[in-house]
Amino acid sequence: MNLECDVLIIGGGMAGLVAGTVSAKKGLNTLLLRRGQSATANSSGAIDIIGYMPEVSEPFSSPKEGLSTIAGLYPLHPYSIVGYSDMVDPDRVVDEIAGRVRETVNWLKKNLRKTVSPLKGSFNHNIHPITILGTTKPTCLIQETMYSESLQKDDDSALLFVGFSGHPDFNPSVAAKTYLEDRLSFGEPPRKVGRCILETAPFGKSYNISSIEIARHLDHETSIQDLANQLKRPVEQIGASHVAVPPVLGLKKAVENKLRLEELLGVEVFELLGFPPSVPGLRLQMALESIFRKSGGKMLVGHEAVSYTRAEDRVSGVLVRAPRREIQIDARAYVLATGKFIGGGLNGDENGIREPVFDLMTVTREYHSAEGILPTRFTNRIAISPLGQPVYSCGLTVDPYFRPVGEDGLEWASNLFAAGSILAGYDYSSEKSGLGVAAVSGYSAAKNVLDYIGEVT
Amino acid sequence: MSDSEFDVVVIGGGSTGTAVARDCAMRGLKTLLLDRDDIASASVGTCAGMISSGLKYRGEPEIVKMCSSEVVHFNHIARHIMSKNPILVPILDFSTVAGDGDYVDSYAEYAEERDVPAMLFLTPEATLEIEPLVHPNVIAGVYYEEFFINPFRLCLLQALDARRHGASIKTYCELVKFETFENEIKGIVYYNRITGATERVNTKIVVNATGPWAHKIARLAGVPLDLRLNKGAHVILDRRIVNVGITTKETVDGRWVYLFPHENTTLLGTTALDTWEDPDALVASYDEIEYLLSSIETVIPSIREARIIRTMAGIRPLVPDWKVPEDQVTRGYRIANHDNGLISFIGGKLVMCRHMAEAVTDLVCRKLGNDAVCTTHEKPLPGNEDDVDIELLSEEYDIKMHVLERMRARRGTEITKILELTKDHPEWKTTICTCEPVIEAEIRYTIREEFPQTLNDLRRRLRIGTGPCQGTSCTFKTAAILSEELNLEGDDFLVDILDFRAERWKGIRPSMRGEQLVQEELAQGMYSCVGNLDQSDVDYDIKPWEEGS
Amino acid sequence: MNEDEAYEYVKGTLKKERIVPYQPYELEVVKSVESCINCGLCINHCPVVAAVGLNRFSGPRSIAVELSRSPPEFWSTADTIYLCTGCGTCREVCPKNVDIPEVVNLIRARIFEHRPDLVPKGFSMIREVLTEHNLAFEPWADLEEKAESRDMRLEKLGLPYVEDRRTDTARVLFYPGCQAEERAQEVREAGKVILDYFDIDYTLLDEMSCCGLPAKLIGDNKTSRLLAEKMTEKVKKLGAEIVVTTCAGCTSNLSDLSHHYEWGIPTVHLLEFLVEMIGLERLREVMDHSPRQEQVHVTVHDPCHLIRHTSRQIMDHALDILRQLPGVRVTESNAIDSCCGGGGMVSYHSGDVANAVVRENLEAIHKTGAKKLVTPCPLCTAQIESNLFKAGSSVEVDDLTVFIAQRLPKKR
Repeated sequence: MNLECDVLIIGGGMAGLVAGTVSAKKGLNTLLLRRGQSATANSSGAIDIIGYMPEVSEPFSSPKEGLSTIAGLYPLHPYSIVGYSDMVDPDRVVDEIAGRVRETVNWLKKNLRKTVSPLKGSFNHNIHPITILGTTKPTCLIQETMYSESLQKDDDSALLFVGFSGHPDFNPSVAAKTYLEDRLSFGEPPRKVGRCILETAPFGKSYNISSIEIARHLDHETSIQDLANQLKRPVEQIGASHVAVPPVLGLKKAVENKLRLEELLGVEVFELLGFPPSVPGLRLQMALESIFRKSGGKMLVGHEAVSYTRAEDRVSGVLVRAPRREIQIDARAYVLATGKFIGGGLNGDENGIREPVFDLMTVTREYHSAEGILPTRFTNRIAISPLGQPVYSCGLTVDPYFRPVGEDGLEWASNLFAAGSILAGYDYSSEKSGLGVAAVSGYSAAKNVLDYIGEVT
Repeated sequence: MSDSEFDVVVIGGGSTGTAVARDCAMRGLKTLLLDRDDIASASVGTCAGMISSGLKYRGEPEIVKMCSSEVVHFNHIARHIMSKNPILVPILDFSTVAGDGDYVDSYAEYAEERDVPAMLFLTPEATLEIEPLVHPNVIAGVYYEEFFINPFRLCLLQALDARRHGASIKTYCELVKFETFENEIKGIVYYNRITGATERVNTKIVVNATGPWAHKIARLAGVPLDLRLNKGAHVILDRRIVNVGITTKETVDGRWVYLFPHENTTLLGTTALDTWEDPDALVASYDEIEYLLSSIETVIPSIREARIIRTMAGIRPLVPDWKVPEDQVTRGYRIANHDNGLISFIGGKLVMCRHMAEAVTDLVCRKLGNDAVCTTHEKPLPGNEDDVDIELLSEEYDIKMHVLERMRARRGTEITKILELTKDHPEWKTTICTCEPVIEAEIRYTIREEFPQTLNDLRRRLRIGTGPCQGTSCTFKTAAILSEELNLEGDDFLVDILDFRAERWKGIRPSMRGEQLVQEELAQGMYSCVGNLDQSDVDYDIKPWEEGS
Repeated sequence: MNEDEAYEYVKGTLKKERIVPYQPYELEVVKSVESCINCGLCINHCPVVAAVGLNRFSGPRSIAVELSRSPPEFWSTADTIYLCTGCGTCREVCPKNVDIPEVVNLIRARIFEHRPDLVPKGFSMIREVLTEHNLAFEPWADLEEKAESRDMRLEKLGLPYVEDRRTDTARVLFYPGCQAEERAQEVREAGKVILDYFDIDYTLLDEMSCCGLPAKLIGDNKTSRLLAEKMTEKVKKLGAEIVVTTCAGCTSNLSDLSHHYEWGIPTVHLLEFLVEMIGLERLREVMDHSPRQEQVHVTVHDPCHLIRHTSRQIMDHALDILRQLPGVRVTESNAIDSCCGGGGMVSYHSGDVANAVVRENLEAIHKTGAKKLVTPCPLCTAQIESNLFKAGSSVEVDDLTVFIAQRLPKKR
């Protein structure tokens, strides 16, 4: 059955859900379409604002520092967009940019506080949580279950890496070695690490154990006590002050489980940042969906926008496909937050990069057309490089109001906005800026939607 | 004889080198095999793995005969790592195959000994039923059968068999120089890249089985050798997209191009270009990729919808016939018996490796006064002794049937040795590579028994990282296991990951499109965005194909 | 050899090599696995993995990226491929919507044809019934007894008896599905009550036959095709403008048949018909005069074949409908869309797996505090009801069609 609403959000990841929540909170009838699960749901659960730029060899000590660099060198970076609207004083550009990002960070912290993914961290500095490889990365916000206040401050801290037998996603011995070498090379604590393997067999077999089954097991059963019992000895043996676990502490009860373990063992316990399939990513996704729904937003899952109808300078409706049904949805404003290649916001082949719903203009990082490019020419010979892979900087270019523009540089439609990794001009993997850009652009796009709807009403 | 004295030193651990080492060792010669990298790390790893019956060489009847009999031998000694390759030639236009009647005759001559039918003719309806992706305008089909062999397992099993017969196998050992006295070889000096030590051994006979580097080795020994180097590239597609092999001459330039379902992927190949490129820096070119796709498109019109997972490129060391087009150069082999104790191979194909080895080993034995006869065509390679009952094993060990089926294709009867490990370590039943799949027990067994040093070496032995995700999912897990087994430092673990991502990227990058863009976004998201490996300050060596970035 | 002999020889070799050429309609399905990037999101959501663990059921990821890559090896997936309940959660969460449920069916069809010894023995009875009676449930031998059973249910549920209506000029074909025909007769009756109340010009089939979904899920493509062709013949002969069903599986399967066999007419679940053809306003007006106005606290279960194989909107319609019923208070459980385990024919051979899958639902249902669960699918109803009973629960389970019909006023 066809539907009508005020705001239609296309895409259900961080960008779409933030935009949708902002819109719904203001009382607008907001409908969000989601085809598949988002890349957000597979993220590590950390929210990067800005970690690196190619010009700078060290990680930024704070998002503010990174944003100043971006504002100066990359006026078309997604973060910079709000700074270059004509309503902003030229000498207030950096403040405007930083202000919007700070606002978004605080918005996230506030709104996710009572969900399964409460956040820790602040706009004023980057933190460096540990990953399952034993490396560290700069980020701004992490889930409470990943936070450790004192690990890198206490001179005597000793860290125990814990793995689970038959769980291949994390190897504590290797991570411990890697992490220790890193710490020794910096001459910073902890200077002592250990590792141990715990037994957990949620279904009675000690092999092929997935992260999600450990997490669900820890949600349902009183198995935290069992973990604590197994951990007592190794903790004592190495004199651990901190315990690092893979990100499986629970789906809904992770925070409680962390606190309980800390209580039972008398040490700090935190989760590491991990790879897909991600449990914390799922928590973050669930948390964002819950605040969206609580704000009055409606989700239509398993629905894909396939084409559109236009009336003059506006999008009048979108044709939407469910597995075996098709409907038309008419809205007053639309936010396209369909992701990059994983999400399907962009497709690419040897004939160029395309945006499949509205066929919007795509550009490369240099803001040349991406419509005829050969993707391999936009790659780096080195696979994993601080310069990233330029093809992932392709996407849509938007005006200061987050509306995608056409070849003439003007908005393609007055009521179509875009947010998230569909935007061009940044490489989230090398910059460490993924969920930050998604949240900030989603937040900003929604604010513009509100203005737009306010204007036309 | 002391530990540092050998009857024969074989340089090059490809199909020919390992075959020579095996034959020499089996005849009682004290043998050393060296490779500056891993076994099967060069040309043999970049071919399709088909052991051709010699069909293409119908102008060279001796070669056809030899190829056919070698296929028979392989079926006897290595059946467990072989599979049948049924091939269909869809004909859209009879004129393209008008002059090829002698293919049919040539093929039929030895078909019976290989237990395959002579070429069969099929109606267009039958052709389309067997392969619905064939162009609907097909007017006839020709069917014949060839065989595949797993080239990595072949080389490794030949090396392991050589070792079993007393040979020394040393990978990551690079020849530095020959020691000669009065123009005769007395010994060789090599650099052990793992230990960093320079070592030397005495020997009077050196077999140069280095493929595209043969002329460089000869130069080191002070003797001349010419090669005509020829590049061949393949595009590898996800899953078996066609039911049977498809070959056609209705291509861009009239050369035969093939699309073969192989293990759990599909191979599209191949090109043949004269080359002067550095074999280590070689990647498939855009032209080669488009050439292959456009060529097969005439008979498989939907080929561009299929998912490309990577490309590969290697060099054929052809016999130096110049001033003729490369397709007129024989694919047969020559043996250069230099006067100083060096014996070099030129030319040859995978299917001939045992024959080549026999010829040279005969020569070596004559030089040493050894009259043992060759038995490499009789004695089965390890694992080939019997059939394996997957269903029974699955029940016994509580491991999924498909896991065991894939393991069987690599191990044959040796599969039980790996499964036994899981009795003491049930946690090793865990799947590590989800595409193939490969379980932890097989990885640990391989590390302990088959001397891999890197993830790439493991890839050759296990097929980890060869699926659609190209190691996105398993690189870090396998690296952890390797690090544990070899007791590596923390940095080495990260370097291993970077090295393997680099090696996979080498083949992914040239064809980058479609699903590869999605896959690599995920890989970047994991290893760079979360793992932060792009900012890691470990000792990463720039690879030859990464130079000049 | 002549061409025919050659063809036979080749087919023989291919059979030995376990190569079964794809049918054209299979090509699209199997192609979808090429989009899999091995991200594992599906593993996080699969209800079977959640219920029995990744070791027992290697899950949708393995089906997409491992088990479907080499047809000669399809036989070796037999210890995994039958454990899928076909819920489609994996496809719904997959960033690329890889069509894993259909790939499962394709692989099962190959095993059915080439290694019948590996097909679960638990299917043998239903295969017999399908072959002999064209139904997925053994029909009543004694039609009088069948009518008695029906009347008992009608009395217990407080539903009137509406005469079967069969005409060949009707605009609506009402297709209750074989479960409602032979077992849960109250659903068939309730459907008639509703259609009759609103004076819908409907007809039943002269002779009931299965839509073919169970045969497809077993891998018996020959039978499912036969049944599909039977249905097509009947539908085309009747010339109805729309097909309405009260079974979730039939809803999705009939949509496929309508598309594949070019019926040219829509096929909908009764819930869709109520909302889109009759309208919520009209329903509200009618329900204001409902003889049943007592307070009842219910919770809902979303059948997979509606939300994930057809459209999530259908259960939005269900909630909208419930809002029009006086006295009815709905609390959604936090496992409202979690598979009941009844699908994929899993319960026919691995009841322990099917029942493990539904366990999460049971907990969530209790948490709502509701007295009753309603769901618009006879299969889900049966599966959840029997498991609630085994768990000693007092929560009742009703088919939503029955629940609605019970609240209709007496027809004037």
